[in-house]
Amino acid sequence: MKTQLWRVAPKFATYAAAAIFALAMASPGHAQSGPIKIGVIAEAQAVAGSSIPQAAQLAADEINASGGVNGQKIEIVSYDNHSSAAESVRAFQRAANEDHVNAVIASYISEVVLALEPWTGRLKTVMVTPGAASDVITQNIAKDYDHLKYTFHGYLTSTSIADLVCAAAKDLLATQLHLKSTVVMSEDAAWTTPLDAEYLKCLPEAGLKVLDHIRLSPDTTDFTPIFNKIEGQKPDVILTGISHVGVQPTVQWKQQEVPIPMFGISSQATNSSFWNDTNGAVEGVLYQAVSGPDVAVTPKTLPFVNAFKTKFGNFPSYAGYTAYDEVYYIADAIKRAGSTDPDKLVTAMEQTDWIGTIGRIQFKGKDTGNPHALKVGPDTITGLMLQWQNGKQVNLWPEKLANGKMKFPSFIKVGSAQ
Amino acid sequence: MLKSQTLRILLIGLAVVVAASFLPLGVSGYVLGLLTVAYYFGVFSMAWDLLFGFAGEVNFGPTFLIGTGAYTAGILDNLYGLPIWVCVLAGTLAAVVGGLILALPALRVRGPYFGLTTLVAVLMLQNFIVVDAGLTGGEIGLTVPDVLTISEVVNYQIALWFMAVSGAILFALSRSPVGLILQASGQDDVQAGALGFNVTKHKLFAFIISAFFSGLAGALLVFYFGSASIGTLIDVTVGVQIIIAAVLGGRRTILGAVLGAVFLIAMSEVLRPLGDLSNFTVFALALVVVLVFPNGFFGLLTRHKESV
Amino acid sequence: MLFWQILIDGFAVGSLYALGAMGFALIFGVSGVLNLSHGALMVAAVVAAWAAGNDLHVGPYAGAAIGVLVGLVASLVTYFAVVRPLQNSQKIREDEKEIFILTATLLWGIMIQELIAYFYTNNAKTVSPIVGGVINIAGVRTPANELFTAIVCWIVIGVLWLLVNRTRAGKAVLAASMNPRGVTLLGIELPQIYIAVWAIYGVLIGVAGVLLGMFLGVSSYSVGPLTASAFSIVVLGGLGSVSGALIAAYVVGYLETMTAYLISPAYRTIPALLLLVVVMYVRPRGLLGRR
Repeated sequence: MKTQLWRVAPKFATYAAAAIFALAMASPGHAQSGPIKIGVIAEAQAVAGSSIPQAAQLAADEINASGGVNGQKIEIVSYDNHSSAAESVRAFQRAANEDHVNAVIASYISEVVLALEPWTGRLKTVMVTPGAASDVITQNIAKDYDHLKYTFHGYLTSTSIADLVCAAAKDLLATQLHLKSTVVMSEDAAWTTPLDAEYLKCLPEAGLKVLDHIRLSPDTTDFTPIFNKIEGQKPDVILTGISHVGVQPTVQWKQQEVPIPMFGISSQATNSSFWNDTNGAVEGVLYQAVSGPDVAVTPKTLPFVNAFKTKFGNFPSYAGYTAYDEVYYIADAIKRAGSTDPDKLVTAMEQTDWIGTIGRIQFKGKDTGNPHALKVGPDTITGLMLQWQNGKQVNLWPEKLANGKMKFPSFIKVGSAQ
Repeated sequence: MLKSQTLRILLIGLAVVVAASFLPLGVSGYVLGLLTVAYYFGVFSMAWDLLFGFAGEVNFGPTFLIGTGAYTAGILDNLYGLPIWVCVLAGTLAAVVGGLILALPALRVRGPYFGLTTLVAVLMLQNFIVVDAGLTGGEIGLTVPDVLTISEVVNYQIALWFMAVSGAILFALSRSPVGLILQASGQDDVQAGALGFNVTKHKLFAFIISAFFSGLAGALLVFYFGSASIGTLIDVTVGVQIIIAAVLGGRRTILGAVLGAVFLIAMSEVLRPLGDLSNFTVFALALVVVLVFPNGFFGLLTRHKESV
Repeated sequence: MLFWQILIDGFAVGSLYALGAMGFALIFGVSGVLNLSHGALMVAAVVAAWAAGNDLHVGPYAGAAIGVLVGLVASLVTYFAVVRPLQNSQKIREDEKEIFILTATLLWGIMIQELIAYFYTNNAKTVSPIVGGVINIAGVRTPANELFTAIVCWIVIGVLWLLVNRTRAGKAVLAASMNPRGVTLLGIELPQIYIAVWAIYGVLIGVAGVLLGMFLGVSSYSVGPLTASAFSIVVLGGLGSVSGALIAAYVVGYLETMTAYLISPAYRTIPALLLLVVVMYVRPRGLLGRR
């Protein structure tokens, strides 16, 4: 067989040429002028990611229905990155070079956004992330502003989230329940390094003594040893920082009847499907979010949630809210810049002052340690603290937006003070 | 006789490569980007084919060698800002050392046992990268400050000619007496030993060559992407893609592996309109090829010649 | 306290591993097939049980039964659609069939994984447990479900033992796993044995999957690690040896649990991998391997 190989080699050449030709044909041509294009690179198979293109499309439809931007329509071009950094880079290159998008909304995974960040400078394309949290994203901008100024952090940084959680913990745990000690349990990932550092700093200030700090591998499937260890330290509450894991720790917490409440960040708990995913084990879990069902953070929140629910049949994930806002303020920036030139767009984006669904959107300035990070605080974004109760997400904090009272399942023994 | 055939195939291959080098005139930057990745993966698959097809070693861990090369190069660039070529060279050397480590069990155990050893090697490397996140970037991945170039055309040409040279060397090697001895020892090492060949020496040689090209390609790929991560370079599924590309192209053909790699990437692109189901369809097609045309594309091309 | 905790936890984990790995070992013993779609088949069973509970609103028993059924069907489909065509292929040299079956089952596993992710997302799924609550054993608050898992595992292992040692068909399977060529001389058709073995395997992974879904939960990311752990356990126990797999499963289960408790959960899998490497150097045929 092998001696005949040479005879077929020309045929091989033909096949190879045909394969390359097919590839060349597969990529569609592009129009130079026409609509404003916003690329959306997201994790279509993950719950948090699947809302991103949907919410972006919803915003684009609304803007187009009311006449578009400067007379131009907005077109959303979606790419599924299969949660992979490499596929995201490919998609980003395609978006910038092939589809000529004017801006990109990309991913809720910090790892992916960090891989894309250098490419925003290389290809001079504005990118906003609707869900990544690592502080490193904006720290990089501070270090190399001229190249990386095209990246915007459209979600809270880990440090800001930790501060918001601490603020809620102070009111709900220390003041209301008189809890005194805690163990921090977070997953080992890019976004939790600054989160944990800030937790360790702000929790004692909020009145909670940190007894231990556990970082778990995101591959963990059996959380029994971790819960046992925590229980042995007898904290009043477990402060969580989990996103990639969620279902398994929650279910095992319930199954082992760990008598300590969980409070903090549990990204998956923000999804409306989480009750079913955990078969109700999430009852009593408290989690931070920027929005929640039936919570009118701003006048735009509930109309968005209802429109989303009507159109897609489910509630948006946290990254859905931010992606929806992002399309609006990118469009607003393009309108103000009067151009889609990337450098002018960056300047206009930096001056963003937009009331979105999660609060008032303003970016930190060039001279801060985290340029292009969202400002947080009472005037801008405060976040919420919600709790799962009987299959519903009930908001408890801040008090003016609360629509329920804290309560726990019977296996939980809340503090000595109760 | 054999020599002239080898030469002839190499010449035809050269013609294809020269033709491919004119592609940037006709196709978009995006397609070039895809082909760039496909060519690097082609080198991975060819290096794997040398080990499996010729030395008979079922290696589930091509990504162990690739990852060692890639991360060594990336970390050096990140820590010391050394010139890219120094990093690439160091990465390649590290991969060769990795190849020797991988070769040790291969001299003792065979078949599925060796396959498992290689799988374990990948898992250990993965664990090391996750645990030592300070150095490697952990699950986040490593972002390197330097890239080869941001020009798609230049990147494309680098990958194309790198693949061409690697392919020519690997192919010539597989057709040389060394390749024949490897093949003999891969099928029956006892007999090959009895015939007076130094099986151990030749196997070690195959591991070193395979590791050399895997590591070199891995290191270059880091400086193409500008980043390295477990998901892109080390994960077992990446290894699976490399193996599938080689099997699809046709085992023991070396050059077929490139065809398989281009096919895999082209298919996932053509099937992109299927959205989330595109990956599924690519793997389903690959399975059909494995089931129906077990000799791969090269086998498909030779089939009617055989029946004559 | 810690001692009891490790003892109980390791036992539950080991029992689950044992159930998953024994089928894997059985198939290798009888037909020399290493089924790399193992993890995907298990996850398919879990997701089926989860979806039955969530979408069809059936009770936990019916959900579990559906999960086991899906495991059985998936296993038989794997045999008929993927493995058998390769075994019977005229185009592939005998000595190369191994790599073909490995590649094809790997592809098949990835296909199942992609389909699950497509229909049910990558999020982890847990099956509602049949028994809830906790029981206090020697001061350790143990979920009743954990005990239930271990008990069911041992019932299934017991039934398997009876089947293999006390029935004619079972004895034929046992004989085939020792000497596949030999049984053909006794007038038993190998293909029938293969079907029987794949059916047994399907039930085993179905039960193991559903129990895993109740105890720890799985996602489509679990596919690779599940296959890898079955593969390592079987190699550790000695390829083809079902009882070897049983022992190795507990060795790995306890080693992992001890590491998680005494060192750190982050290093959970590393000592087991090291042990595997050591065993392969010192005793390549595994603990109870025949070759």
